[in-house]
Amino acid sequence: MIPYTVDRRADTGVTNVTLGIWLFLASEVMLFGALFSAYALLRVSAPAWPAGRTVLDITPALVNTGLLVVSSALVWRATRVAPVPMGRVAISTLLALAFLAFKTLEYRDDAARGLLPETSTFLALYFTLTGLHALHVAGGAMANVWLMAGRRVDARVTAGRARALALYWLFVDAVWLVIFTLFYL
Amino acid sequence: MRVFSTDHKVVGLQYGLTSLVFLLLGFLLILTLRWHLAWPASPLPLIGGILGDTRAIDGILLPEFYNQLGAMHGTIMVFLAVVPLAVGAFGNYLVPLMIGAPDMAFPRLNMASYWTYLAAGIVMLAGFVLPGGAANSGWTSYPPLAILASSGQTAWLAGMLLLIASSLFSSVNMIVTIVQLRAPGLTFMRLPFFIWTQLVTSFLLLLAFPALQAAAILQLMDRVAGTSFFLPAGLVVSGEPLHVSGGGSPILWQHLFWFLAHPEVYVLILPALGIVAEVIANITRKPLWGYRAMVGSALFMAVMSFLVWAHHMFLTGMGPTMSAFFQVTTMIISVPSVVIVSALLLSLYGGSIRFTVPGLFALAFLPMFGIGGLTGLPLGLAASDIPLHDTYYVVGHFHYVVAPGTLFALFAGIYYWFPKVTGRDMNPLLGKLHFWGSLIGMNGIFLPMLFQGLHGLNRRLYDGGRSYEMFSTFDGSFRGQAWSAVFLGVVQVFFVVNLVWSLARGRRVSGNPWNATTLEWATPSPPPHDNFATTPVVHRGPYDYSVPGAPQDFVLQSER
Repeated sequence: MIPYTVDRRADTGVTNVTLGIWLFLASEVMLFGALFSAYALLRVSAPAWPAGRTVLDITPALVNTGLLVVSSALVWRATRVAPVPMGRVAISTLLALAFLAFKTLEYRDDAARGLLPETSTFLALYFTLTGLHALHVAGGAMANVWLMAGRRVDARVTAGRARALALYWLFVDAVWLVIFTLFYL
Repeated sequence: MRVFSTDHKVVGLQYGLTSLVFLLLGFLLILTLRWHLAWPASPLPLIGGILGDTRAIDGILLPEFYNQLGAMHGTIMVFLAVVPLAVGAFGNYLVPLMIGAPDMAFPRLNMASYWTYLAAGIVMLAGFVLPGGAANSGWTSYPPLAILASSGQTAWLAGMLLLIASSLFSSVNMIVTIVQLRAPGLTFMRLPFFIWTQLVTSFLLLLAFPALQAAAILQLMDRVAGTSFFLPAGLVVSGEPLHVSGGGSPILWQHLFWFLAHPEVYVLILPALGIVAEVIANITRKPLWGYRAMVGSALFMAVMSFLVWAHHMFLTGMGPTMSAFFQVTTMIISVPSVVIVSALLLSLYGGSIRFTVPGLFALAFLPMFGIGGLTGLPLGLAASDIPLHDTYYVVGHFHYVVAPGTLFALFAGIYYWFPKVTGRDMNPLLGKLHFWGSLIGMNGIFLPMLFQGLHGLNRRLYDGGRSYEMFSTFDGSFRGQAWSAVFLGVVQVFFVVNLVWSLARGRRVSGNPWNATTLEWATPSPPPHDNFATTPVVHRGPYDYSVPGAPQDFVLQSER
């Protein structure tokens, strides 16, 4: 057994899982930070830039924002109860899948209107950033399933995993809110 | 020994063997290229006939294949050989042992990191069998060239995405392991310097690599989804206007690439400094001089390394304000490297040095890295960088840092810790032949580059510049370099034979054959599955050599 998997280490005050997820999120911040920097550089050097609402439809994005926020709130609330209520995690997973379904429909609608990655730099950034974000939602859904599948392991291990997962979902929310602001308003 | 093992020692050895194979492959690619540069109009001996019509005609390299050799040599050496050897192999194998831990914090993630790395390497190499061959736009993959290049570039990007995922797994794991799993009593200021370098390196990998991840995603989109992140409007290729939406910026790629690739330089050098520090303390039988200053310098260097990237881009025509900023930060970052190397040099003073094989490699590292570092200073200033940047001077500079620099440190590490891994010694005579041969061979290749560059020889010419009258006087030095490269290859046979022979027949040694002080020597060789029979307790700093009054000239960290 690796030490400090479930117990906090006295001098650092954290478990391995907690420290690990924060480091992972720091790396993710750099990844999206680099992409948002690319957005800024391309936008300021563009001769013209469309307002997002004139290109994209805000309705599906609003629905998706709701789905994502409720989904991650469920995981977050689930960490406050012991043992972790897997029913809430299951609902959260379904909401995440609904997000992906809506996003797919929205992409299809975009394509039908002739909005493709090669059309303009605005759309190129839109498809790349929302696509990468959708991959993160899919990854989170898989992690939810993994959490549920591992419910028979030590309850404290599961609780630690759930806390890490909740932090991840908050990050996915935060990225979505930036994307929403940059592309739909 | 299971192949799919989560034991950090197995993962470390898998990393080690794989990266040594990549190291050899990267060397063979460039050996081919160097031979071609020496005799550009003659068929390549031995392999000329079997390369096929897409790579060579009548045994003479085609320019397209020359580009593949250069691009893949750089990529393989930096990303698939040296960093995985320094961090994946040495880090994985040694960090838990040196901090008194049973394994890495996340053993399964560790295993995943190795297999993702192997997949990344295979995907990148698969480019060689694609139509148009492997990636051929340089190891830096600058657009627009890289976006218009053949499908090998897509393999390069896919491999890079996998490699960065692997590096993310391993760096999270390494930091958590070092912070959380230190043995009782092993405070941060009692950590061996090698552990500090691994910690700092992992932070660099964690925070710098995502920039290249982002850049690779954007370039992949440009290649497969028709976007124009890096393609400006109005681009004309072979007389035809390119039908893209435009509006992209090739310079954006350079910023994102070098935001990774400058910290990457410190990823290449820091673990090497760590290994050299361990070996030097051991062969001088003295504590390191200025341990605290070295740790502080490593941390300062890490922070600064995020602020110097654009000194690789003086040629892009950036304004004087920006170039002034990056020149100042570049001059500042040279200070901590000098502090560390000076501390290592001063550690030698007054020591009764034992010239063991790892000791020879570590000692040679100091002047070689010194040459590499000092020749970098003129490249950090725009006025002298602009004429030198496209010449062999740059190639000579960074090869001094990485080849007789980092690689010598890694060889020192292999000879030093081989007894720990196997319980057997490596043959010192073969080791010394390997050392002296490598020292001569490497200097024979890289020293002429500095002079060629100062004479203005461009580093990107397929025929070595023979078509220009002003470059027609370099035949002799090109041939000297080619023979040096062959010689360097031949002396590596001593190393490979030594490695294989010692594995089976090497002299059996005790758990601590070098009479060293750090925790990995407090357990049998090879270490058992959970490393230590009982968790060690640390009572002292890492380098208690020649303590007055002690019965021997070393005291293990775990001794009271």
